[in-house]
Amino acid sequence: MGNIMLEVNGLTTKYVTRFKENVYAVSDVSFTLEEGRSVGIAGESGCGKSTLALSLMGYYFAPLHYIKGDIIIDGKNISGMKPDDVRKNVLGTEIAYIPQAAMNALNPTRKVIKFIEDVIRAHDPKATKKDIFDLARQRFEVLNLPVETLYKYSVELSGGMKQRTVIAVSTILSPKVLIADEPSSALDVTSQKMVIKMIRDLMDLGLIKSMIFITHELPLLYNVTDDIMVMYAAQLVESGTADQMIFDPLHPYSKGLMGSILVPEDGTRDVKLVAIPGTPPNLKKPPEGCRFAERCVYATPKCKVSGVAYHDFDNNRKCRCHMSENELREAYANEQ
Amino acid sequence: MKNHIRQVLRSGKFMTGFIIIMLILLLVAVYPLLNPGNPLEMIGYNSFVKPGVYFSLYDSLDMESRHVYRFRLEGADELRIYNKFGTEDRIAVKEWLVRYGEREGVPGLTEEEIDVDDRYQLLDLWWEHYDPTLRLGMTIAASRVYQRLDARVAGIFNLEDYNVYTIWNEELEEYEVHQTTVVNDDYVNVNDIANRIWLPLGTENFGRDVMKQLVHAIRTSLMIGLVAGTIATAIGLLLGLVAGYVGGIVDDIIMFFTNLFTVIPGIVLLILISYSIGQEQRGAMTVAVVIGLTSWIWTARSVRSQVMSLRSRDHVNLSKLSGHSMPRIVVRDILPYVASYVVMAFVLQVSSGILAEAGLSMLGLGPKTTDVPTLGLMMNWAMRYTAHLMGAWWAYYPVVGVIALISFSLNLMNTGLDQVFNPQLREG
Amino acid sequence: MNEQSTITRITKNGYFKYFSKKIMWLGITLIAAVILNFFLPRLMPGDPIAGIVSRVAQGVYDQAALQDMYERYERAFGLDRPVLEQFFIYIGNLLRGDLGLSFSRYPRPVADIISSALPWTLALQFPAIIVGWTIGNVLGALAAYIRRAFDKTLMPLMLFVGGVPAFGMAVILLSIFAINLGWFPVAGGYAFDMIPHASWAFFMSAIDHWWLPFLSIVLIAIGGQALGMRSMSIYELNADYVKYSRYMGIKDRKIVRYVFRNAMLPQVTGLALQIGTMIGGAIVAEIIFSYPGLGTTIMLAIRTGDYPLISGATLIITIMVLLVVFILDIIYGLIDPRVKASQFE
Repeated sequence: MGNIMLEVNGLTTKYVTRFKENVYAVSDVSFTLEEGRSVGIAGESGCGKSTLALSLMGYYFAPLHYIKGDIIIDGKNISGMKPDDVRKNVLGTEIAYIPQAAMNALNPTRKVIKFIEDVIRAHDPKATKKDIFDLARQRFEVLNLPVETLYKYSVELSGGMKQRTVIAVSTILSPKVLIADEPSSALDVTSQKMVIKMIRDLMDLGLIKSMIFITHELPLLYNVTDDIMVMYAAQLVESGTADQMIFDPLHPYSKGLMGSILVPEDGTRDVKLVAIPGTPPNLKKPPEGCRFAERCVYATPKCKVSGVAYHDFDNNRKCRCHMSENELREAYANEQ
Repeated sequence: MKNHIRQVLRSGKFMTGFIIIMLILLLVAVYPLLNPGNPLEMIGYNSFVKPGVYFSLYDSLDMESRHVYRFRLEGADELRIYNKFGTEDRIAVKEWLVRYGEREGVPGLTEEEIDVDDRYQLLDLWWEHYDPTLRLGMTIAASRVYQRLDARVAGIFNLEDYNVYTIWNEELEEYEVHQTTVVNDDYVNVNDIANRIWLPLGTENFGRDVMKQLVHAIRTSLMIGLVAGTIATAIGLLLGLVAGYVGGIVDDIIMFFTNLFTVIPGIVLLILISYSIGQEQRGAMTVAVVIGLTSWIWTARSVRSQVMSLRSRDHVNLSKLSGHSMPRIVVRDILPYVASYVVMAFVLQVSSGILAEAGLSMLGLGPKTTDVPTLGLMMNWAMRYTAHLMGAWWAYYPVVGVIALISFSLNLMNTGLDQVFNPQLREG
Repeated sequence: MNEQSTITRITKNGYFKYFSKKIMWLGITLIAAVILNFFLPRLMPGDPIAGIVSRVAQGVYDQAALQDMYERYERAFGLDRPVLEQFFIYIGNLLRGDLGLSFSRYPRPVADIISSALPWTLALQFPAIIVGWTIGNVLGALAAYIRRAFDKTLMPLMLFVGGVPAFGMAVILLSIFAINLGWFPVAGGYAFDMIPHASWAFFMSAIDHWWLPFLSIVLIAIGGQALGMRSMSIYELNADYVKYSRYMGIKDRKIVRYVFRNAMLPQVTGLALQIGTMIGGAIVAEIIFSYPGLGTTIMLAIRTGDYPLISGATLIITIMVLLVVFILDIIYGLIDPRVKASQFE
């Protein structure tokens, strides 16, 4: 058991749309992440996983709004801090983010080194050019990135190189928590592999202390992270180790999601819906009862009216279901 | 698509522009019905007659055919003073007072003491100081001028009756003198007067009704814009589709010309072509065609780049694999995606077509002048006959206003469409 | 620093490729412009000489005199020779700066008339376009960044101002500020009792006459540019790099600088693409002020059927625009790294 790097308690945030509607995209999310461990978050598109990634940063700007909950990084609660404090002392140094669309994450008219300079100076205005350069060079060497990349504009880099550069830049200040939001989904297979290897190197070298990896591709999580959490309709519905979650999912939604692993790619929604019939609830007005009840084949009338807490199961697992572990296993056994 | 149309109809910008255009079209459709006639008919003997209702003075004096009513209106004299005591007379009064006001026993007046706009003060001072018998070293002619001025000032309050008018007697072939008594509280109803004309925007240099002309000009200019826009959009769309979809050498050739005409200013081509066509051959439609032929470049460029990115999309590839013919792929898999852009481009082309016609006409290369009025021609006439120096604002302000309004509302529609089809530009 | 020198070399190659492309393109467009200027009138239906004669000889009914005039013009144009030969003579004359003789101000050479009008147009339009471009971009960027009421009032205003043709704006300013308020002179490029010469009084008079046309072009340019810059800035503000930079803890003020720089750069090319239209509009605006530039020259030439002058003036305008576009392209290539990268795609 290592130190707890990240503890999240009851985090709830919302989006405000153009038409001033509230979309509660992250609702009552709680989990902990220990030093040296990585966790994957999986779920259908639109379930709120990307919003969760941004919400965890503790830095909110329109259209994302904080409602309640705590984010404690290495013992320090950042959710009560002033935005400028968070910007200066948390972002990049405590917690860092690799965006989903890393293709355009770098300013096209700024050289990589200049951008690194901006990042470092944002936290330490007194940093000298030489220190910055030395740090960047050393970091790029460690991560097997060509140092000349530092003197290029992002437009001059290939897709894979851009993504790896973004990862190196995101972790330049050795954050305690790294959040990677589908960092490899837009890349070809070779680049994907390089990106995953790079992220694992970062963990192995101790440059980052823990990691959250968000994806819709479950097999990828099995190879990359220690634990897996499944998210449905803005809530976590189940968590466990990667082995447990892939080979022995308990929550009916996780079960269905694992069943749809063979779906070739994102966007071919029709196939997925065969695996789990129905559509996720509207997050502008989430249902009162269990959010999965409408689509759940095991649902009872009770499920539709009363909500259910995210509670412990055996073997360090957590699940959000009215049924107990045994009831679930029984139900699955009967089906076969 | 349906969803998009609903969004377009909900867009405030688009609808504002659309409603303005519709109002203009309504005016164009209705006004000629209410007020028919040739817009180029020269109705006035004078140029630049100011806006207003005109009625025949002759008819208003004809007491037999119509009732005369008497009103005792308060302030009627004041208004008379206001209207009849003109600027020139007031300046002359002031001049006299300053120059000759000081005499024995009468204190002099300085420039600052007299306000030309204060009519009552001027009248009081005039009656107090003016003595028609005084010569004060003036020539006889000069003192006559002031005597006439005095008579005019007195005339403002003339309570005597006017009483003479003549009628042409056809049988005797001579003018008959009629006697009528008209006193200063006699009134006639305007509707009783046989001949009236309402000139909402006065007349221009040739004595033609500006409003009537303007309505016809809007129609012609809109037609020019539509024709030019249609031609430009059609050529641009066709070239863009071919260049973008076929690619290769065809693309290179089309792009070469497109790039060429991007940098060579359109106005130069317009001038050269319009001039070469010659004044006689240049009807409104010819001008529209010439404008259309020289303004397809932007549409072609943008359509091409969109088609290029569409060409490699999945649904297009699927269509290709299914062995669909090229025209079918273009029509069913590509056109729907560029349609929104083409509509926007068309809206802008119409607006720039109208502006191009105006510019050409200003240079003297507009449609031939005997045919139809256009907004550009009206502007050109107004400037050529120096309406602005004559203070005849009605001859050019409405034209500029209409051009600006049309182009504003079309741009507004375009912006509205843009916000619907490019959600990134939306407010929020 | 070995890597760096490699980069520098690539960079230099990128620029070199870009510049040589642009220079080649300048050459091609110049040739095309000359060819168009020569052939366009000759390709048109109708007989240009007959047109000129009918215009010049209004009121002359003597057939023999008309025939004589026709032949004279034909010879003056060299139209009695084969087209290709005419073209080479035309090119040869052009290279010597000879644009022929003006009909309406015979025997003044066209080149002479144009060179006395050109400085007026240059001094009026370039400052106006540059000032309008700058102010427009700043306003557009502010509208995109501040939004709210500022944007809500500025946008429709700019849309309206941008939609008014340059001559319309000229008439409005003229009637308000020159005719009604009397703050500025009504017409001309200098006081009518002066002869152009280098003196302080003449210069002041010219400045006096310059303001209104200048302002009318500036206003139009502001309208058009502000809208473009606004869209561009909104587009950039929504770009992924903005979000990423924020989550990396970079200050908003710095990010705004990124955004405006990135939005501003394409506006340089935007200007290059619009400059032809802008100059076209501004030239018409000159007429309103009877400004002694190319616009008024062209209008007078059209009125008097002075074909050599029209052709010469349009050629000069084209060359002027081509040069400006070329210079803007070069500047853009130097300041935007995206250009260099695109050379290796």
